Amino acid sequence: MSLKKEYDVIVIGAGPSGVSAAIKCSKKSLKVLIIDSNENSGGQIYRAPPKSYVKKKEKSLKENLIQIKFSEELKKNNIDTAYNHTVWQVSPGYKIDAFSEEGTIQWKTKNLIVATGTYEKIIPFEGWTTPGVIGLAACTVMLKSHQTLPGERIILAGNGPLLILVAYYVVKFGGKIEAIIDTSKKSHWLKSIFSLVLSPQNFIQGITWMLKIIFSRIPIYSNSMVTKVTNEKNGISVEIKNIENKKLKKISTEVLAVGHGLTPSTDITRLLRVDHVYNELKGGWIAKIDKYFRSSAKGLYITGDGAGISGAVAAHDKGKLTAYAILFDENIIDEKEFKQETIQILRKLNRYEIFAKGIANLNSTPKELINNIDENTILCRCEDITKKEIIHAIKKGAKNLNQIKSWTRFGMGPCQGRTCQYSVARVAADELDCKIEELGYLTGRSPIRPFPLDKAIGDFDYDEITKVEAAPL
Amino acid sequence: MNLRISDYFERGKKVKIIVNEDTIEAHEGECLSVVLFISNHKNLRLSPKKKENRGMFCMMGSCQECAVLLDGKKVISCNIFIKEGMIIKTGDLHES
Repeated sequence: MSLKKEYDVIVIGAGPSGVSAAIKCSKKSLKVLIIDSNENSGGQIYRAPPKSYVKKKEKSLKENLIQIKFSEELKKNNIDTAYNHTVWQVSPGYKIDAFSEEGTIQWKTKNLIVATGTYEKIIPFEGWTTPGVIGLAACTVMLKSHQTLPGERIILAGNGPLLILVAYYVVKFGGKIEAIIDTSKKSHWLKSIFSLVLSPQNFIQGITWMLKIIFSRIPIYSNSMVTKVTNEKNGISVEIKNIENKKLKKISTEVLAVGHGLTPSTDITRLLRVDHVYNELKGGWIAKIDKYFRSSAKGLYITGDGAGISGAVAAHDKGKLTAYAILFDENIIDEKEFKQETIQILRKLNRYEIFAKGIANLNSTPKELINNIDENTILCRCEDITKKEIIHAIKKGAKNLNQIKSWTRFGMGPCQGRTCQYSVARVAADELDCKIEELGYLTGRSPIRPFPLDKAIGDFDYDEITKVEAAPL
Repeated sequence: MNLRISDYFERGKKVKIIVNEDTIEAHEGECLSVVLFISNHKNLRLSPKKKENRGMFCMMGSCQECAVLLDGKKVISCNIFIKEGMIIKTGDLHES
């Protein structure tokens, strides 16, 4: 497929919200391009298996069928796709720079939809950098997309809906879970099901999942957290602590999958210097948007979980609503049609919101996890920065995240602070005795993903270089 | 125990890759970081200051922890699909 240089609408992220927005825009004859770093549509929630995997006829996974439908719909609606393309820079105008195996490419668009979803919050503990410790989300991708159990013995830990989802899949795929370490109390489990399915209609499915976990007789340690991981022969040793009675216990395993909820991806919106707001219950910093997902910059729309976490089902409707906002802003539909088309979706989204608020405490990170971080524990994995170094910078006068970054180099490594920004902010807020939002957020810097310079330069001979005449002295 | 689930999908043909001094059998098109993780190669690189072992962590191209050398070039292994004869180096990742 040959791609154009300019589009009416470009969508970054081919998850549920991006796909539904792209389809709605395309149906009204807008020329749409959807970009994703994965090799197919689906996002993380419906992530496709690698291209070399051939689906068996007799058995299929629900997620996979949804993904296949996404691909078919994108094709049917003549939407251009740029998979395997990683966006490394977005500039006003809007210019989108990406790289792939073939090199670099730039596209222009009047309307940009950022549908980049979330990444996982993982609160550090002693030994969290040990190989064999992975994210719960990473575990989900291994199971659902790559169809692989991460190890023969697995411990799952943390909080939030992913804990149950991952447990369900490990059991379904015949894996062995040594223990589930749940930060929340037992009574929160029922709420957790709600958050996972996000609608009462799917509640039965949630119950089925829970029963499967209960009947598999996996030891569940509620109100507990991981305090230490050390290497041992043939695997790792995981120390857990009961938050209430402080009792410690050690369990041996091969793999520990741990996660503490999700946080919206703001790489692109921070780069574009639009307004952001802090909302702990929706996952942290989010670009400021109106109810139709318009940001503070003209032509820039943020949608899906990246606009505040409410799950995959809601993401679909958020995408639709965003598309209607573009169609209205572009004078393709009039106000009457806009109101007519959006009123039902808005009502539906409001219902999700009420529902989501009810369970939002599951996604928030309890104080105990932050208090548990030892001063010698690494917070910034890329640059090996410990909690002690962060505290030192604050004692010397650093007052916000950007100043701490300048002082310590935290957030300057390849991940650009995606892994550690939240925990550093929590530690700093405690130290400075202030609200997390008072610390600000890391200024967006390009490239937002590392990429080899030879890809940017491409192949050329010496003669092809434009020589600039030297300035007169 | 076979960690590869074969109920829903058929994988590509078997190929061999070289990881440091080991020859590992995998299926063509499988994800490199996943294969390394389940083939006893969890240690992928050394951290910059403390030189501690690091490995696959987020599986979605965000954390960059799963970097290895593929045929002498630094890559994020969760984004690489296996081909016959790939030469992987882990540990100290100075590009050759």
